[in-house]
Amino acid sequence: MIQVQHLSKQFRTAAAKEGAFKGVRMLFSRDVRIKHAVADINFNIEPGEFVGYIGPNGAGKSTTIKMLSGILHPTSGRVTIDGLSPHHDRRRVARKLGVLFGQRTQLWWDLPVRDSFDILAAMYGIDAGMMKRRLSQLSELLELEPFMDTPARKLSLGQRMRSDLAAALLHDPAILFLDEPTIGLDVTAKRSIRHFLKSINQHLGKTVLLTTHDMDDIEQLCGRVIVINDGKLGFDGSIDDLRRRIGLPTLIRITYKLPIADSAKHAITRSEFNGLQLSCGEDERVLTAACNREQLSAMDALRMLEQYGEIEDVHMEEPDFEEIVHRIY
Amino acid sequence: MKEQLRMYKLLAAASLRSRMQYKFNFWFSTIMAAVINVVEFAMLAVILAKFGHIKGWSLEEAGYLYAVLTLSKAIYRTLASDVHHLEHYLVSGDLDNLLLRPIPILLGLMSQNVSFRIGEVLQGMTVLILCMRELFQHGQITWTAIPYTVVIVLSGALLLFAIGLLTASLGFWLTRIEELQTITEDAARTAVQYPVSIYPKWMQGMLLTAIPVAFANYVPSLYLLRGEGGIGLLIASPVVAACLFAAGLLLWRRGLMRYQSTGT
Amino acid sequence: MLFLTLARKTYRRNLQYRGAHMVHNLASAIFGFIYVSIWVGIGQSQSLGTYGLNGMISYVAFNQVSLWVVSFLTNGLGIEQSVRTGQIATDLMRPVHFFYQLMCREWGQIAYQLLYKSIPIYALYLLVLPLHVPSSMITFLWTAVALALAAYISICINYLIGAAALWTTESRWLYWVNYAFSMLLSGFLIPVEWLPGWLRVLSHASFYPFLHYIPSKLYLGLEDASSLLGSAGWCALLTGLCLFVTSRMRRKVEVHGG
Repeated sequence: MIQVQHLSKQFRTAAAKEGAFKGVRMLFSRDVRIKHAVADINFNIEPGEFVGYIGPNGAGKSTTIKMLSGILHPTSGRVTIDGLSPHHDRRRVARKLGVLFGQRTQLWWDLPVRDSFDILAAMYGIDAGMMKRRLSQLSELLELEPFMDTPARKLSLGQRMRSDLAAALLHDPAILFLDEPTIGLDVTAKRSIRHFLKSINQHLGKTVLLTTHDMDDIEQLCGRVIVINDGKLGFDGSIDDLRRRIGLPTLIRITYKLPIADSAKHAITRSEFNGLQLSCGEDERVLTAACNREQLSAMDALRMLEQYGEIEDVHMEEPDFEEIVHRIY
Repeated sequence: MKEQLRMYKLLAAASLRSRMQYKFNFWFSTIMAAVINVVEFAMLAVILAKFGHIKGWSLEEAGYLYAVLTLSKAIYRTLASDVHHLEHYLVSGDLDNLLLRPIPILLGLMSQNVSFRIGEVLQGMTVLILCMRELFQHGQITWTAIPYTVVIVLSGALLLFAIGLLTASLGFWLTRIEELQTITEDAARTAVQYPVSIYPKWMQGMLLTAIPVAFANYVPSLYLLRGEGGIGLLIASPVVAACLFAAGLLLWRRGLMRYQSTGT
Repeated sequence: MLFLTLARKTYRRNLQYRGAHMVHNLASAIFGFIYVSIWVGIGQSQSLGTYGLNGMISYVAFNQVSLWVVSFLTNGLGIEQSVRTGQIATDLMRPVHFFYQLMCREWGQIAYQLLYKSIPIYALYLLVLPLHVPSSMITFLWTAVALALAAYISICINYLIGAAALWTTESRWLYWVNYAFSMLLSGFLIPVEWLPGWLRVLSHASFYPFLHYIPSKLYLGLEDASSLLGSAGWCALLTGLCLFVTSRMRRKVEVHGG
């Protein structure tokens, strides 16, 4: 469905000058800095996949999306969307795509939402009957009815995002590119957007590529994650793979009945002890151990920790997905 | 082409509806544009009423030049208002939204923020009719002047559009073009509101070649109103407009390509 | 000193854009050149009264130069935006008089435009036009005083236009009405005595001639310093009006609770 081969994008920026007449000197300057926004990326996305595309700010996520949707032309490499190049066939590819930029609305600011939909219908050449069916369907799923006649500028962020989603789906594209669709939304609004995205993927079979900074989005929606960092692909696989690959430790916090024995303190200074990483907190009786469950089971770890004294309480923390992502970045 | 016209009509209508949401602003800008225009013309009229003529151009003749240009400008800015505001699209990134749509970018841009320049059209028509009536009575023009005038107005609109398009396209390289537009669009157009012969030779040359806006009214009027030159001057006007417009489209395409490869 | 601080702030803010402003100056100079050409065109076959051809060229060119000091001020002194954003309530409650604050800011704007717009255009015209240059320093002095008073009148007018936003929310139309009137009545393109009868009467009854007509005639040495009394009179009258309006604004904002 989506094929990306050796995709690269370089931006050239004139190096800033210092001192007097810097503006004028910059005009004639030949010093250019080349920034590799995206460097030699490869991936394929099959129909019906729900892919999370993640990475820190400035990693090249938006640049990739812009190249996939035909807004930017790649410096080198190839993109094909359903067999077509968005570079050479922008207008035909545009019909197959629904794109949403969470940071920016694509609705007509001053127009009632309904009118925005009318304009889009005109642009995509959707006939009146079809349009009516689609709209009633989308309106039901996204609960648009209460604000269909409100100008976009007066919508709440959640309402705006739902309307934008409907706008992206109006021409029934097979592929959706969603750039931070939950940004700035409250918990309920996020939940309803996620629910909607899940259902159009599962029931309507839409292929979705989603960028987000919200790891709950990824965990709950995406079967596959692609990580980009500094323009390069860091990881491409399932979330479980990602967890395993990073091998983030489980944290075990032990509270002993008595203050910790000296032998334990000795172990702490060595910091690595039989696959356990130990550290002490403020409390004399508390010890925190980090262990990689792939290498050491929790029971073994506890057994080892028991030798420092009688355990009163145990608290275990599984690795947080947010943490995982921080690790990759 | 037919498809594009239909799409333009649909999009323009929608954009006009959105403008009408602010009824006060709509009528206000319409009326103010007309008032400013009236005052501008009134200043010329006051001068000519007192001094009779300017370099041999009577009030009616100068008024004709002025009115024809006003109408051309009104048509250009009605059909392509946001081409003039490309800088805003480049800075805000709104151009990306248009690039996501299955329509030609220029068409998309033209159909945004459409405003009927009713004020200017009314004022232009009034001055034009008054001046042409006088010219009739003096026997300076005949009935054929009416279709000729239509041609002049339309090719003038195309010419102004072409100049606007060329300037806007430069925005893909320069980003900041407002000042440049003040020169190529506003200053140049203001210059040919008056008979070009009042300017020194170098400036006349500029208005005929570098920014050939004189072809929008002055050149064809030389033939139509004063029988100078020959019908060639009249034909020159649509020809120059078409050539310049073709150049504008070419530069536009190059610029858009640059935008897509640099992401300005 | 507050006056200098506020004025310097606006001045500095403008400095960042001076490159773009220089290109804009070229456009502005061309506009002036167009107006000059109109009079050259007329003057070739007709006599231009007491001005003479060179006098008219200088008259129109000088008006174009002074446009940036006396006409192109901040639209309504920015009061309309501050009403829309609600900033006005804070500004009105400051311990410094609202009119004084805005006036100081605007003087910074005017100082900038004088240095980076009027003077470059004037220099350009000195090079390319047969511009009249007064021979005595005292003429320069009176012209400067006339321009300063004109700028002050313009500040007051823009203040009143901006203040109207508090009652009408939209005050932009007033700005344009003022602009249209000023083009016609200030003698910007046509000396007031050449206006048709009723326009002449209207012009003389207003402050508009003191914006362009009087300063330019002083510059040309066709008017003596006593006409500055008229400028000063209008300044006093408009100041009173601005102060009165400010007290009304305060009450209006207090009633609305900001």
